[in-house]
Amino acid sequence: MPRLTIEDLQKIKEKHRATFTLREGGYRAKITVHMGTCGIAAGARDVMTALMDEIANAKVEDVIVATSGCAGLCAREPMATVEIINHPPVKYGDLKADKIREIFKEHIIGGNPVEKYALVVGSETTY
Amino acid sequence: MADNTKILVVDDEPVVVRSCERILKAEGYDIEGALSGREAILKIEENNYNLVLTDLKMPEMDGITLIRWIRKSRPSIGIVVITGYPSQETIKDALDLGIIDYVPKPFTPAVLTDVTRRAFEWIKGKALEKKIEEEFPPSMLNELDRVVNQYKKKPGSSIPVLQRSQEVVGYLPPVIQKRIAKGLNISPAEIHSIVSFYSFFTMKPRGDHTIRICLGTACYVKGIETIINKIKETLGVEVGETTKDRKFSLETVRCLGACGLAPVMVIDHDTYGALSRKKAIDAINQYAPVGINETPAEEIEAVEGE
Amino acid sequence: MERFRANLMLCAGTGCVASGATKVRAALEKELKKRGLKEEITVVLTGCNGYCAQGPVMSVLPDEIFYQSLTVEEVPKLVEEHFLKGRPYEKLMFKEPEKKLAIPLMKDIPFFKHQVLRVLRNKGLIDPEKIEEYIARDGYQAAAKALTQMTSEEVIKVIKDSGLRGRGGAGFPTGLKWEFASKVQSKVKYMLCNGDEGDPGAFMDRSVMEADPHAVIEGMIIGAKAIEAHNGYIYVRAEYPLAVKRLQMAIEQCYDAGLLGKNILDSGFDFDLEIYQGAGAFVCGEETALMRSIEGKRGMPRPRPPFPAHKGLWDKPSVLNNVETLAQIPLIILNGSGWYRSLGTEKSSGTKVFALTGAVNNIGLIEVPMGTPLRTIIYDIGGGIKKGRKFKAVQMGGPSGGCIPESLLDLPVTYEDIVKTGAIMGSGGMVVMDDNNCMVSIAKFFLEFTADESCGKCVPCRVGTRILLDMLADITEGRGKEDDIETLQDLSRDIITSSLCGLGQTAPNPILTTIRYFMDEYESHISQKWCKAGVCRDLCTFFIDEELCKGCGACLRACPSKAIIGEKKKPHKIIQEVCVYCRTCYETCKFNSIKILPAGAHEPKHMLVETKT
Repeated sequence: MPRLTIEDLQKIKEKHRATFTLREGGYRAKITVHMGTCGIAAGARDVMTALMDEIANAKVEDVIVATSGCAGLCAREPMATVEIINHPPVKYGDLKADKIREIFKEHIIGGNPVEKYALVVGSETTY
Repeated sequence: MADNTKILVVDDEPVVVRSCERILKAEGYDIEGALSGREAILKIEENNYNLVLTDLKMPEMDGITLIRWIRKSRPSIGIVVITGYPSQETIKDALDLGIIDYVPKPFTPAVLTDVTRRAFEWIKGKALEKKIEEEFPPSMLNELDRVVNQYKKKPGSSIPVLQRSQEVVGYLPPVIQKRIAKGLNISPAEIHSIVSFYSFFTMKPRGDHTIRICLGTACYVKGIETIINKIKETLGVEVGETTKDRKFSLETVRCLGACGLAPVMVIDHDTYGALSRKKAIDAINQYAPVGINETPAEEIEAVEGE
Repeated sequence: MERFRANLMLCAGTGCVASGATKVRAALEKELKKRGLKEEITVVLTGCNGYCAQGPVMSVLPDEIFYQSLTVEEVPKLVEEHFLKGRPYEKLMFKEPEKKLAIPLMKDIPFFKHQVLRVLRNKGLIDPEKIEEYIARDGYQAAAKALTQMTSEEVIKVIKDSGLRGRGGAGFPTGLKWEFASKVQSKVKYMLCNGDEGDPGAFMDRSVMEADPHAVIEGMIIGAKAIEAHNGYIYVRAEYPLAVKRLQMAIEQCYDAGLLGKNILDSGFDFDLEIYQGAGAFVCGEETALMRSIEGKRGMPRPRPPFPAHKGLWDKPSVLNNVETLAQIPLIILNGSGWYRSLGTEKSSGTKVFALTGAVNNIGLIEVPMGTPLRTIIYDIGGGIKKGRKFKAVQMGGPSGGCIPESLLDLPVTYEDIVKTGAIMGSGGMVVMDDNNCMVSIAKFFLEFTADESCGKCVPCRVGTRILLDMLADITEGRGKEDDIETLQDLSRDIITSSLCGLGQTAPNPILTTIRYFMDEYESHISQKWCKAGVCRDLCTFFIDEELCKGCGACLRACPSKAIIGEKKKPHKIIQEVCVYCRTCYETCKFNSIKILPAGAHEPKHMLVETKT
């Protein structure tokens, strides 16, 4: 590590903000990918991978991803729930990699739920 | 080598031999005389001398020839030269052959006893050095010297030096303490005062594995005593001792600071927590078999199972 | 940079490593790779989490799920369930002791719930071996502020105003200590850290050094600035290898980053810091002895004055602060003295870390605001006494402290209140004892410690502690005399007033407090030759109460010397000649049928009534 200046301390802090948002809380949005047996069978892994990829590319630091079990609606798997703090959660179904990428851009970054993929709005929050 | 004070004095003048005998006998040395190089060789072959005092200029066989023979066949014998003709040449020859000192004739009794005493000190030191070299491999001693040199100029470095040295040698016997003291240029007494004060240092050799049992309050409250007793009984040693086969040393330590795991012990660098008598012996068995628990396992579990 | 959806904060403190954290880590990483989760989930090794008894422990973030007692065998299932399928794995969760209900979230577990983390702010949240993670948590911001925006006087004022008192035991105000040293004119001064945590039953400082070494270093930089010292040492016990390793690593990182050495953060301030490893002598926790030890001599204390602020290490002005004290300094500089005072009491501000051990359900490291009642600590955080036994005493302050009885459990934990009991706050060891403990033996245990650790320089301590110990040994072995209690008290007071250093001055405290609160135990040992707890082998006899014995045979199987006979479902009997007084039957019996009577008793019925618990 090169010699640090006071400005560098701040820069290092910024650089690690995402990690500590994850560890300490204080995130803006949480996406839960349902990874029950049915979800995995239907391709939830691809959805997850695409989502992680989008987050990394967009360099957002206040979004976290969680997994949960079967959402109970196996026919519409893979599913994901997007929760933006202080907004009603939105459940999406029949997801594919390109769909989650679109949801990420429109809903999580843009703030507008993608109605064509949405199954239900306003189910229980998990935060 | 009884007493290690056996002297042979060699001179072709009987008066010199007699006076040496008289003076040194009074000092408590065991001394005999020989009047020629040949007689000296015969006597040396028969007896175990520690020191030979010899004239250089003698008929038949001269002193230098005798010294050469002694160096070759009895290298551990110390040699002091007595000579009336201390020419630069002959003394230099003798010094090259590794004599300890020389006494110019005529000499006073005080000079003779003084030289003899110092010669024996030198022999003793030599023997100690030899013992060190026999007991500790040269690579170990080199590493020790390297450690000492590394810290030599740093003030207050004796404790770190002793810590590293103990890592290198395994323990700190007096000979090693002396070598360290010499290297650091402080008195052996000071080094000894530190070694004896801090519980981390040991003057006794350790076993291959060191078992350190925690005597902290939490361990005490949770019954470490019965575990120590079991280990002592199994290994057949007391705390502070090493097993006869040099496999284990048993020590206690004030508190390992792992109270959450009480009762605790450490073997070498591994910590074993939540001990029962059985768990402790099982752990020790992983390092070297120390015999089987006499009480069947199920019964012990019944005692200790919580 | 790498992004992960979850961080597995696996504790790699001494306790968890001892219970297998290293193997669990390897298993986790292998399993995550096998399941294709390596790019999404990472394992982070943290310092001591504090919940050592249930190790290895791990918290999953952001989910905040807490797992304990991890094993290599359970790892595949855990990874499959939680990380692949998103179903937290109940089997490894904390279970509420009485109802056995699983509590998934760390913040809901009582052990963690009542704590306020300041000193331990980074525990389980950062990898102590990575300086970036410390910096990301505001690390070195306080040092930057102190070095570039504050004068020495300002730094000292903030610390003085905060009311911070030395956490090593005696509670001397830290700001005042700094002020004394800052006022002495000298080109060379030393800033020292006392990591020679010697009290048996205490491991706060070890945890802090392992979990957050940079916090200690940052505190030292600020202290150095305050007193204008340019050299420092951290004195660490040799028994703490992991702490030494982490501190060494942290110091090297600081030198690389220009946070130690010349011209720190371009402020023009220089500070060099190194580690000095102790060699095992309890007395070296005393400041003058510690300084002698750094000088490479026998660590013996010397009379004060002169105080170290004037003549300390190598006769130069020196300040010695405890690990926990130093770890608080950066927070006070960043947040101000008012913030610091918002917790705690008027005279004891802030929080205190305790090592809670012994006969409580939840053992571990805790941090609570000063003034928290002992009862809250033992019953709410500690989860009460193991196996529902009866609380007897809590020992505070180690060999310098004392035993506090049940009647004083509502006492708030502050320097002033603890001193009134005859114990001391000490460095924070809190050992809970139940009715299985004999208080005379406990006093003897501590006197064995101090008699052994007395450096021998002054007579009252060297000879006095030995005589106290011999008397206690007599009492526990049945040779106690009527006037012993009085003699113990008199001699104790003499040792306190005439010893040179803190070791001797406090060594009799365990005796005085046990006499004060448990006089009846001393009396029964001396006059009745009866150790009611059954600990002193010469002062007890074990009997089976035939009316209570169900003949279950548990004691018979457990007895190591085969001293118990009896047929199934019929009352058993102890053959006195064979009994070795190991207490095993007493602890095994589920029906309270084993009774402890005085030595040589012959089972008189009236005594059985008296001993019923």
